[in-house]
Amino acid sequence: MNAYTLKDIHAGLSAQFSVTVTEQMLDSFLTLSGDNNPFHVDAHYAKEKGFQGRVAYGMLTSSFYSKLIGVYLPGKYALLQGIEISFHNPVYVGDVLAVSGEISYISEAYKQIEIIGHIRNQDKKLISKAKIKVGVNE
Amino acid sequence: MENHILERVQDIFRDIFDSEALIISRSTSAVDIGEWDSLNNINLVVAIEKEFKIKFILTELVSLKNVGEMIDLIDEKIK
Repeated sequence: MNAYTLKDIHAGLSAQFSVTVTEQMLDSFLTLSGDNNPFHVDAHYAKEKGFQGRVAYGMLTSSFYSKLIGVYLPGKYALLQGIEISFHNPVYVGDVLAVSGEISYISEAYKQIEIIGHIRNQDKKLISKAKIKVGVNE
Repeated sequence: MENHILERVQDIFRDIFDSEALIISRSTSAVDIGEWDSLNNINLVVAIEKEFKIKFILTELVSLKNVGEMIDLIDEKIK
């Protein structure tokens, strides 16, 4: 786990990790959230609607932004304060996601940084984009 | 100049508080806007920094009592 403090941080500092989406993740998210919408639960239904299979929850893949800031950028001293996310393409079981973020702005007065995050799949397709506001609670 | 700063700050307030009808004045303070909590205070300050291309330090901010004092501080910094 990184532990960047404000003095360690500069605009342009970035981090990246990858994660493979599994059936178990979707099942766990179903249990956690209670969202049993058939797009996410029923592969047959999802295929009838034109998708390749069960569609991974947007909030599931967005949870990787939590790991991005909480573990990597800035890491230990992160305090999530706000996030705006747009979803561009569906995610399926077996997809390998590259989760990345770069610091775009630093405000020293209240120790808040802004991070632009991206999630892309194995074909480099943009899955989601995020603007994340993070307090650095050192 | 001050009116121009107030207008731009008002646009920021409207964006942060999601209210196109919001009207602020020099005397506006946190007691006047229900959602003006500590997090939105941070968001306001950061948005103002970006809008006016200035930077604040904490000691400048802690003594501000209202929007008017913030406008005066912005005015000083952009001169």
